[in-house]
Amino acid sequence: MLNYEKIKNDFPLLNKQFKEKPVIYFDSACMSLKPRQVIEAMNEYYFDFPACSGRSSHKLGELVTKKIKEARQIVARFIHASEQEIVFTRNTTEAINLLANSLDLKSGDLVLTTDKEHNSNLIPWQLMVKKKGIRHEIVRSNVDNTFDLEKYKELVKRAKLVSMVHTSNLDGTTIPAKEIIKIAHENGALVFLDVAQSIPHIKIDVKDLDVDFLAFSGHKMLGPTGTGVFYGKSNLLEKLEPFMVGGDTVEYSTYTDYKMLNTPEKFEAGLQDYAGIIGLGEVVKYLEAVGFDNIREQELKLNTYITEEITKLSKIKIIGPSDPKLRSGIISFYIDGVDMHQIALMLDEMSNVMIRSGQHCVHSWFNDKKIKNSARVSLYFYNTMEEAEEFIRCLNKIIKIL
Amino acid sequence: MFCIIALIVFSILGIFSATHRALAKEALDCVFRRITLRPCNTGFREKIKSQILVRLLNRSAFLARLFSRHFELLSWIFFILMIGSTFWVVKGGYNYYLYGSCNGLNQSGFCAFDPKGENNKVTEINTQCGAVEKKEENVTLNNVDLSSFPTKNIGSKDTVVLIGCYECDYTRKAYSDIQKLVREKKTNYIFAHYPAKENTNYLSEVGYCVYKEYGEKFWPFNNYLFTVDKVEIYQPEYVGTILKNFDFDVNKINDCINDPTTKEAVSNQVNQLVKTHLYGTPTVFINGKALVGPKPYRVYKSMLNKFIIF
Repeated sequence: MLNYEKIKNDFPLLNKQFKEKPVIYFDSACMSLKPRQVIEAMNEYYFDFPACSGRSSHKLGELVTKKIKEARQIVARFIHASEQEIVFTRNTTEAINLLANSLDLKSGDLVLTTDKEHNSNLIPWQLMVKKKGIRHEIVRSNVDNTFDLEKYKELVKRAKLVSMVHTSNLDGTTIPAKEIIKIAHENGALVFLDVAQSIPHIKIDVKDLDVDFLAFSGHKMLGPTGTGVFYGKSNLLEKLEPFMVGGDTVEYSTYTDYKMLNTPEKFEAGLQDYAGIIGLGEVVKYLEAVGFDNIREQELKLNTYITEEITKLSKIKIIGPSDPKLRSGIISFYIDGVDMHQIALMLDEMSNVMIRSGQHCVHSWFNDKKIKNSARVSLYFYNTMEEAEEFIRCLNKIIKIL
Repeated sequence: MFCIIALIVFSILGIFSATHRALAKEALDCVFRRITLRPCNTGFREKIKSQILVRLLNRSAFLARLFSRHFELLSWIFFILMIGSTFWVVKGGYNYYLYGSCNGLNQSGFCAFDPKGENNKVTEINTQCGAVEKKEENVTLNNVDLSSFPTKNIGSKDTVVLIGCYECDYTRKAYSDIQKLVREKKTNYIFAHYPAKENTNYLSEVGYCVYKEYGEKFWPFNNYLFTVDKVEIYQPEYVGTILKNFDFDVNKINDCINDPTTKEAVSNQVNQLVKTHLYGTPTVFINGKALVGPKPYRVYKSMLNKFIIF
């Protein structure tokens, strides 16, 4: 059971007001709010031990090294991985680029993606098509935007890599990852999962999924911006050539040669965002304390209410399945002939209701469907029923004047 | 198109407000993107539209709906109104600077910069039956013989004529500025006393005689009559004292005043002034252009500088 008083105290933004009204933050799929505990952990680094990790042997250096190691252990435990399998990146995008550039892909190798990929899991493969001559194919969704397993089964037979978004930021639908991975492995393909939108809402267990590679960002799961995680099975990580090299990736170097460090260090070139990584460790503790069951319950309650109310408005079309249970904390909707930016801006202006509008970095899907844009409500456990009601009240008023 | 409209509107409003200056910058960015053949992706149009719509929605859903559906058309209407009103404001400011009235030279309509119309107030004079209508455009020096009036700086390329009365407040207000103008610009200067008020009618003859008998000494005397307390010039006997103070021969002046030719000359002067079709004092002619009412000094000066457009 969630304690809203505590949650409100934990998130400083929820206590702020604009134009004498509280903020109703419904844009967590883009960027989640940060709890005080995370901010304080980051501040602690800057105030008390702002030194390098893994390099300096003085007290502060050792303290940072210890904190980073702890953060890595926490994150590893969180997804049921080992410490060596956790590579810190700036975000999911960087992790996918790392994979695309490090994996031994050859001309003609097939990479499969869904038709709802974020540009971060689309453009790197399109670039590889141009650079290495790989093939890139798309598994088209069913009419209701759910995953078409039958079509996938046909395509995966020729695939070298399946690279898919776990929960779509477009409509909140989650693909049947475990089954997809199993089928891929049966066909000799590796699987990468972009869990940036799923890991803030559901428990991810890499062992249970048996996923080969996986990535997520800190900023969507209450963590700091500029932090991300790339997971890979240790035997696979060892085979990957690093994408970026430099400081702290080698054991030694001469004028003509070098010796790489082992994973994960060989992938973490240059000075890292130590404050962010420490904050990320704190995030995991916070999420575990809140509990994924509570998170899911609250999101579903709000999503169900909003979906029911929006369905009453005949003009509005929801992207994805009508059942809110299948859409995580996301309600993405549009109205034919209406610029959804207008609605988002009006909600903000009317009652500080902050939602996202546009193509949500899934331009390919919108262009294919010839839909200009959508408005996206993305919920998290810190949202309340009162906020959802205020959103619906404002939306009703806006719809009437369009 | 909206970006261009917004840029113009917010640039003008931005002169007075920092908030609008920021919006003008956004609009400029939008315009720049458009002229460099890129889409305006700043969301500027939507942002402005939503702000207006929400304000309207809080008052009337009907108005908000109307605005939402005809946003482009209404933007154009407001833009045209804005341009129109801006033109009139600029023109009004220009007119005020040059003529002392937003409405143009000697026009007495409302002016925000001179709400009481101080720059156009005159001491009205009695009109005669059959007289030409009281209009600024009818006031002229054409066919008016001013040769008998006190004159100085003869030969200057510019000519200033002041028609006023000693007792009239508005003439007194303009007088010092005219003196300053004549002094600074060394213009040809003609002074004509028009007896707009009965109390000081007799001063026309006094002035005529002082100028006739003493020439240039008339000017300090004239200055004194315009600056002294009005009560002192109501009674002819006081003026005798003033004449004495200026070392004028009072008897000689009185003889001149009582001379029938003086009466005839002064009457002739008034007749000449009537031919100007003036309707109040002060009336100032600068190189033939009439300025009715006490204008700010800059107005007189700008008439000489001749940088007038409208």
